Amino acid sequence: MLDEALVSELLKQARRGGADFAELYVERWRRRALRVLSGEVKEATSGIEYGAGLRLFYGTEVVYAYTNDLSPEGLLELSETLVRLKGQAGQVDQAGRGGLDFRKSVAQGLHAPAVPLSAKDKHYRLERLLEAEAGARVAPQIKQVQTQLLEWEQEVLVANSEGVWCEDRRVRTRLYVTAIAQDEGGLQTGVAGPGLSVGLELFERYPPAEVGRKAGLQALTNLRAKPAPAGTMPVVIGNGFGGVIFHEALGHLLETTSVARKTSVLADRLGEKVAADCVTYIDDGTTPHGWGSSEFDDEGRPTERTVLIENGVLKSYMVDRWGSLLTGYQPTGSGRRQDYTFAPTSRMRNTFIAPGKTPKEKLFEGIEYGLYAADMGGGQVRPGSGEYNFAVKEGYIIRHGRIEEPVRGAMLVGKGPESIKRIVAVSDDLEMGPGMCGSLSGSLPVEVGQPHLLISEIVVGGQA
Amino acid sequence: MTFEEARDYLLQRARELGLELEVLAVKSRELAVQAREGQIEEITQASQGGVGVRAVVAGRTGYAYTEELTPEALDWVLQEARENALLQSETGGFLPAGGALGQHDLLGEGLSAPLEQKRQKALALEAGLRADPRVQQVQMTRYAEYETQATLGSTRGVFGAFRNGYALLLTSAVMAQGQSLKQGYEFDLAKEFHALEPGRTAQVFLQNTGRLLGARPLKTGRYKAYFEPKAFAQLLGLMGWFMLSAKNVLEGKSLLAGRIGQKVASEIFTLIDDPTLPGGLASRPFDAEGTPAKCTVLIERGVLRTFAHNTETARKMGVENTGHAARSYKGVLGVAPTNLFVEPGQGVRLDNGVVVTDLMGLHAGANPISGEFSLQALGLWVERGEVAYPVENFTVAGNFLELLSAITALGTELEWNPMMGVVGSPMVEVAELSFAGA
Repeated sequence: MLDEALVSELLKQARRGGADFAELYVERWRRRALRVLSGEVKEATSGIEYGAGLRLFYGTEVVYAYTNDLSPEGLLELSETLVRLKGQAGQVDQAGRGGLDFRKSVAQGLHAPAVPLSAKDKHYRLERLLEAEAGARVAPQIKQVQTQLLEWEQEVLVANSEGVWCEDRRVRTRLYVTAIAQDEGGLQTGVAGPGLSVGLELFERYPPAEVGRKAGLQALTNLRAKPAPAGTMPVVIGNGFGGVIFHEALGHLLETTSVARKTSVLADRLGEKVAADCVTYIDDGTTPHGWGSSEFDDEGRPTERTVLIENGVLKSYMVDRWGSLLTGYQPTGSGRRQDYTFAPTSRMRNTFIAPGKTPKEKLFEGIEYGLYAADMGGGQVRPGSGEYNFAVKEGYIIRHGRIEEPVRGAMLVGKGPESIKRIVAVSDDLEMGPGMCGSLSGSLPVEVGQPHLLISEIVVGGQA
Repeated sequence: MTFEEARDYLLQRARELGLELEVLAVKSRELAVQAREGQIEEITQASQGGVGVRAVVAGRTGYAYTEELTPEALDWVLQEARENALLQSETGGFLPAGGALGQHDLLGEGLSAPLEQKRQKALALEAGLRADPRVQQVQMTRYAEYETQATLGSTRGVFGAFRNGYALLLTSAVMAQGQSLKQGYEFDLAKEFHALEPGRTAQVFLQNTGRLLGARPLKTGRYKAYFEPKAFAQLLGLMGWFMLSAKNVLEGKSLLAGRIGQKVASEIFTLIDDPTLPGGLASRPFDAEGTPAKCTVLIERGVLRTFAHNTETARKMGVENTGHAARSYKGVLGVAPTNLFVEPGQGVRLDNGVVVTDLMGLHAGANPISGEFSLQALGLWVERGEVAYPVENFTVAGNFLELLSAITALGTELEWNPMMGVVGSPMVEVAELSFAGA
């Protein structure tokens, strides 16, 4: 996207004030969004996002500046701004002299789309959304159906003063269906939203009518559901997006963003037993076409598969450049950012609990009274205290080992490290689900996943 | 190309193409300084912006935007917006006619100060926290300022601009007492740099987070709830606003549909949105379609008076536009609140129940369509009029409309919170809510 000589000059200029390290990040996005409500196109949007961020390290102190003026003058002005911010212009750093000899790495297309976004027109997309809507109308009580299609194409260049020059291209597509069911009792919702690092073959992997049907059935289930009970009880958490609980309760506590500052309750605990034997927890940035996959991270480092917890023992954190400088742990290709308006921090990619050996049916056996959280919404955590919460989107009462009537509106809350120790059995049916994760470096696509698993006790927030 | 040149280029080309077009150009500036362990850890400075268009072709509406201001990118925007419009089968779309709205400066010299003074604000806040031995770790302490310049123009004559901004102090830290750990956050926003006082923000943090140390489990039950302003503002900004948006009403997503003129809340509850509030963080001279700002009473003594409208929703429902159009350059036309607030009442007297000091997990645990919420809460147990001890690991659940009807008292002082829009609330007492815990 930018001329090599200009980038080299910029990185040299930027280190004039004595910075140890300079990094340039440039990106161009093309995004499209289409929203259809009950047969009518409500909004169609297309956009170009284009900008650059320049980051300097003075020891562990970081200065960052970004702009969307990418002319040579604009970029050199950006570098001026940074040097001024540190207030050390005028010092001369010899290290940058003579230009940089970049080692180029270019994406191999490991996650490239099979059906490129340019292969079909907008009417083709609209027809798929209408199929999803038709699929969602499973009963007369479904009053409204909203379908959305999101398409993101991102070209990225990362170059730094250590000679890294990395170009990546990322294409992501997501279909999102919300069904609203209504009766005398009120309005209830059901949702389904598959997304992958793919092009329009998303519709082959997830036929729109089936996605719609899933949302429609969930809305109907919630319509006949009673309010969830309140209290502490055993909970079986469903596979796929159910993994959000460990994303919140565990994943965020293993990012160097909080580990390096010692604001994570799991800081300095490598090699220690932090979970039950049946728990192995992995963050994999290389999953082919994963929603959170990319060939390189946003610091220009190849992504990798990082085993965080193995059989209950803490093995690794998720480490970015800044975190590595502070902690001494090797970077794990986990530096990510929403876009050029954020400096990168350590973030999750596709994170999951590895399959165990307990057959799914066995998890329910012996539960006198509990909750089956079949599908999950989002959650939140405060890493310093480990206090987390997450919402159940589709839930059922477990009675005498059997799945019985549906309940709605349950929120599970707890303290991460305690809940992890209460995972007593893990099934073998691993599935993944896409989500958006918000943290210091913005909102990012991630996958969360797990097999069905049993937590011996957790607080279920419902109606007392 | 500058933002003004891009706007003029788009309007000129639209006229040549016979396209009805509204252009919103936004330019923003950011400065952020982050402190850690007595040092400046990170400084960010930025200038950024883009232009977004809303195009109407034969009654059909389409959108597109760009941050790259070249003739090629701008031509792409026009072509995409037109294609996007033609996907619609509905033909009710239009752009409102308007005139010159003037150039307004709502910020002035409020953020003018040397960088060194701004660094000192962040360092002083961190030092203020560290002075308390119960502060175990400070995760983040930040001074930040934002300034935006928005320009609106359309082929139907709308033309205006305004400049706005604010400065912010923000911190997040962990406090410890014995085995008890609590992570809290605190912030202060102002339109004047000099109005930020790190010492005061540190004291508020220590008070608000420190009082939660040593929390005990809460027993599951139904109790009287006392929402502190910060907690209620978040619930109101998310759930209340969603239901009051005429756009959501028209899309069949609001529980308040069809209830204009009816009692929907306790009769001591009055809800107002006022974009003309002097010094209000969300004050603005006109909305995203150029409709001049005015104050709107949404709920008056418990009775629903009006939904919040833009020109499109007002025309569809055949009512007066309230001037709540909102759009970012990347976004589509919607409705958004400005300075939304609950009128203070006669005061709250603590009796028995739970003081809810903060809520967590709103993006997942509050469903504004069904009105139901079940949220992780932080709070204090109250017995015989006195705070007895802090409580933790519990949720509060209910239905937002039932909650509004069950309000039994309102505090006398309004506090503003900018987390879910800019929302002002007093303390809110609710007769009974469901709490789940041990």
